Amino acid sequence: MDITFSHVSYVYHAKTPFERRAMDDVSLRIPSGSFTSVVGHTGSGKSTLVQHMNGLLKPSKGAITAGDITIRANEKNTKLRTLREKVGFVFQYPEHQLFEETVIKDVVFGPVNFGVPEAEAAKRAEESLRLVGLPPEYWNRSPFDLSGGQMRRVAIAGVLAVQPEVLILDEPTAGLDPRGRKEILGLFDELHRKGNMTMIMVTHNMGDAARYSDQVIVMNDGHLVMADKPEKVFVRKNELREIGLDIPEPMIFLDDLSEKFGGEYTDPVFTIEKTADAVVRILNGGRANV
Amino acid sequence: MFNLVIGQYVPLESYVHKLDPRAKLISVLLFVVIVFLANNWPTYGLLILFCLAAIRFSKMSFRFIYRGLRSILIIVLLTFILNLFITTGGPLLFEFGWFHIYLNGFVQAVFISIRLLVLILVTTLLTLTTSPIEITDGLEILLSPLKKIKLPVHEFALMMTISLRFIPTLLEETEKIIKAQAARGSDITSGSLSARFRAVVPLLVPLFVGAFKRAEDLAMAMEARGYHGEEGRTRLRKLVWTWRDHVLLILILLLTVLLILIRS
Repeated sequence: MDITFSHVSYVYHAKTPFERRAMDDVSLRIPSGSFTSVVGHTGSGKSTLVQHMNGLLKPSKGAITAGDITIRANEKNTKLRTLREKVGFVFQYPEHQLFEETVIKDVVFGPVNFGVPEAEAAKRAEESLRLVGLPPEYWNRSPFDLSGGQMRRVAIAGVLAVQPEVLILDEPTAGLDPRGRKEILGLFDELHRKGNMTMIMVTHNMGDAARYSDQVIVMNDGHLVMADKPEKVFVRKNELREIGLDIPEPMIFLDDLSEKFGGEYTDPVFTIEKTADAVVRILNGGRANV
Repeated sequence: MFNLVIGQYVPLESYVHKLDPRAKLISVLLFVVIVFLANNWPTYGLLILFCLAAIRFSKMSFRFIYRGLRSILIIVLLTFILNLFITTGGPLLFEFGWFHIYLNGFVQAVFISIRLLVLILVTTLLTLTTSPIEITDGLEILLSPLKKIKLPVHEFALMMTISLRFIPTLLEETEKIIKAQAARGSDITSGSLSARFRAVVPLLVPLFVGAFKRAEDLAMAMEARGYHGEEGRTRLRKLVWTWRDHVLLILILLLTVLLILIRS
């Protein structure tokens, strides 16, 4: 299901002394089955942007279309529930939303709310818990007895159990250790490739944005600055630095290395393997083999 | 999310903002007392004039205050209606079935409404123009004589500061959890009454868990930085009493004298 924004603006606390324009005239398109990353400095409007995608925020101006549901400014929409069933949202620190007595009850909460029969909901919950890698011996414990990383898995399972077509992730790896990060990102990548789920990820990590996405959306001060393939976004190094962002670490490394060799390296490189190839090329003065 | 201005602080640059919180607290207290001196049109007029001037000098927009107090105006209206029917005496103004409205009733209703309104306005203006920290600082100093009888004034002030400090944090947290649960199909802001009621537990449990965790962290952080109560503490923000604060107190005294002279 495609998501389209046309000229969407959002104003917080309209008509009070605290009025603040968080998003200004944003138009974009997120194709079905794609992996889109949203990057930007703190306060650039990333979270505001993604919260429009499942109707948690309503635009002050403009319109948003998700599949066959359209949300317009100043118009009451009665299909929000359907929209939220199709577009799952994993909030930043999602473990803060756990509340049930047991893990399994908490995971069942979402599907039951959307009208899935108990038995089917329980089946989905077990599936999702397996998917996020939480062993069955934890399923009947209180979610508050788990470690931070496990709690996050439970919370993510709670969203996956609804079986959304689109998944929005607001900094899903914040506060996780390197291994937890890798596993969680691996899970989303797999869901995207095998389950054909549309992924929208807000992140501060340019490396993750580059490695996993088909499209990178760059926000600054409420404006959409760029929306393009990662290879096209991350070569605009100077523009990104101007708005407080950086390029993926392999590219920084190659930049420094080629500078020491008196050249300039501008090809987009995101993975360790490609970086190794690029290093060989630089060391050989341009040739691909040693 | 809440359209109420009571208790909110709006940082602006104005004469009223710059006043010492102690002066503002004393003045509001005095004002609350002298409001009851008014008993005729000129005295109530004077009170209104004073409030309007105070709002003018605080640079707050009348529209913002009106919008914020709209929900409270219902209470004022209710009082107005009650007084309108209960008080008798004077010529009969209006009669419908067993409803009787007398002139005295009408006048009384107007007076009581004005009284309520100026009380609400003045106290709202205090919190609108004074940051919570300033208010507690001012209160602590004003109440410090009570330490002589072993009242833990500093601890009370600290408790107040901490609770005030965490109101916005809790609001933010609430909003976040409301959204997170709404994304899981449990929306407290829409749907039928029973659906909303069912959405309360999923909201409250995480909120309480978060609040306790935060309190624990705060206690730990304070201990780690060697907090041990009031003894030997200095202030980051020293309160400074200027000529403006004298002027405010003189104005309030002047108002008191005027009210006593004009009241019937």
